[in-house]
Amino acid sequence: MSADSSVLLRSRALFLTGKGGTGKTTIAAAIGRLAAAQGRRTLVAELDNQRSSLTSIFGVTPGYVPQEVSPRLSVCNVEWNPAMDDFLSDIVSIPRVVRMITHNRVVSIFLDATPGARDLVLLWRVYRLTQQYDCVVVDLPASGNAVAMLAVPNTARRLFDAGPIRACADELLAFYPKEGVGVVQVALPEEMVVTETIETFRKLRSELPMLRILQVILNRATNPSLAADERAMLERLAADTAGTPGPAQELVEAGRWEAGLEVATAEARERLAGLDTALLSVPVLSRGDGSARVVEQTSAALARQSAAPLVWRA
Amino acid sequence: MRLREVVESRRLLVCVGSGGVGKTTTAASLALAGAMAGRRVLVLTIDPARRLANSLGIREFGNTEVRIPLPDVPGELWAMMLDAPSTLREVIGRLSRDDAHRDSVLNNRIFQAIAGNFSGSQEYMATERLYDVYSSGRYDLIVLDTPPVKNALDFLESPGRMTRFLDKQIMKWFLSGAEEERLGRRLLAGTTTMVFRLLGHIFGREFLNELSTFFNIFKEFYEGFRERHEAVGRLFIAPTTRFVVVSAPTDPSVEVAEFFLQELGRRNCPTAGVVVNQVHQASQRPLDPEVLLGAAARQIDAAVAPRVLARLGAAHRRLRELSALDRERVERLRRMAGAGLWIQEIPRLSGEIHDLEGLRRLHPYLLG
Repeated sequence: MSADSSVLLRSRALFLTGKGGTGKTTIAAAIGRLAAAQGRRTLVAELDNQRSSLTSIFGVTPGYVPQEVSPRLSVCNVEWNPAMDDFLSDIVSIPRVVRMITHNRVVSIFLDATPGARDLVLLWRVYRLTQQYDCVVVDLPASGNAVAMLAVPNTARRLFDAGPIRACADELLAFYPKEGVGVVQVALPEEMVVTETIETFRKLRSELPMLRILQVILNRATNPSLAADERAMLERLAADTAGTPGPAQELVEAGRWEAGLEVATAEARERLAGLDTALLSVPVLSRGDGSARVVEQTSAALARQSAAPLVWRA
Repeated sequence: MRLREVVESRRLLVCVGSGGVGKTTTAASLALAGAMAGRRVLVLTIDPARRLANSLGIREFGNTEVRIPLPDVPGELWAMMLDAPSTLREVIGRLSRDDAHRDSVLNNRIFQAIAGNFSGSQEYMATERLYDVYSSGRYDLIVLDTPPVKNALDFLESPGRMTRFLDKQIMKWFLSGAEEERLGRRLLAGTTTMVFRLLGHIFGREFLNELSTFFNIFKEFYEGFRERHEAVGRLFIAPTTRFVVVSAPTDPSVEVAEFFLQELGRRNCPTAGVVVNQVHQASQRPLDPEVLLGAAARQIDAAVAPRVLARLGAAHRRLRELSALDRERVERLRRMAGAGLWIQEIPRLSGEIHDLEGLRRLHPYLLG
């Protein structure tokens, strides 16, 4: 499969997964920004996040109700309590009954503690939001939990043979294979992260074969550029300065640190190439410029990897 | 209390923090330090166990305690990974009256969903496992590597949430309600009938039947479960326990660390300090590659020298930039932690740590 970011920009629902610290939120915001620039009404959604990571990027703290942060681009945080109310409104059509349910202690304890109920309710809300936007980019929790969350309709089907929750689960499972719906995995050029990315890929394929894995994005990639003769000299200098700590050694170590990042990137690409999906890359960006600027640069890096020409709209 | 004292004198050390900050490596390194101090130590981790296995220099290990061979170390180091479904099955096996009772639970669909991999099950089971090994008395120190939860509170709250689900009052209410319903009696109070109908609306009648079966089987386990989870809750605030917040110098992980510090304080969980991993280090002044290495490089190969010198300069500039940013974040953590807690910086070491020697290399920084 070829790496093509325009696939992402044409999509309806993107579920972003990745180990903690991979820059998932930054990538989600960058895709959202780019999709909005293509003229699509776009929503970047976090799931019940008590500490919003989007605040430092967009300068607003996302609430349950989507808020527009730039033309056609909105953000929201799918909070559990209001999502529950909406879920109940969808499955119980009488508002008075919904109020009775949400105000009953016993029922709310049930809903809070019933296995998977929480995930199902959040996922359902996301699904409903996809009906209101052209493109919804979902920043899922860290890998392990993300697979469990996406697979919660399967859990619900095992538990419920009939009834409204079963119907919701069925509807979600019917949504997964639709055109433009899929998972994007975010990885880093680090051994453990790549391993986890591959594991998550396999888990998703076996538990949710109908859900496409659209792309893997290798974030903070350092493109190999060190020539063989340069590498050889670096090693010679390292041998020369070994055992004599000081500025010369520090310089050589800085060079080797960067060379190590190149090797790690090449290794990560090789391992991820074994997966049956396309691989995009985002280079290392300077964090010093602030997260909004990093998102902007990430958008630009993704735009460069589009096979189709991109249209920009203010 | 510094980490050296913690690993030498406390009974439980809990490492918390966001994912990807080197929590597992930190936990393993601290466990090793405890063993080196002559104690019997268990490091309990969540999957993927390969990560810890890697850093302990062994191929892999499962849901049972595995001793890590440590030549010339006075204490013992054991490792165990947490496998949520098998942990719960074991607990049920232990609490069951007989095989038939056990099987009736294991075959119940609700139980299967609980034992499955829904989010939150790892947290429940981590506390179960912790209780087991802690009360076994086999270890002087247990180092717990917590699951990487986005919602940092899930872990601390899991004993409470589990107990709420198994709340005896609710279970009793539910069971009597289900029975009345089944018999078609009209003895229930108005509210109960209504709530039952509401639950029926949401979950469907069949699920409610199955739930009452589940509760019927489970009510015998209830006391055992509740006691265990309350015990873990008490353990989290015991004076023999210390929490260590693990972070990296990135905004998201610093925010999670800040949140943990607040919450641990609010819950009276004894917190030792903050470990900041992966800190880029470079001298603050710029270095001139030509002056420092020009002659040496040209002596090796005059044609390649200019390119390499330029690269060294650029790499060092980048490293300095990163180290300056990291320093800001470390300072932010320092302000947050206040006077009572220490902050320990661990430099980003070259290469990933994948053996005992690597874990030992962290000791001067962690215990220093």
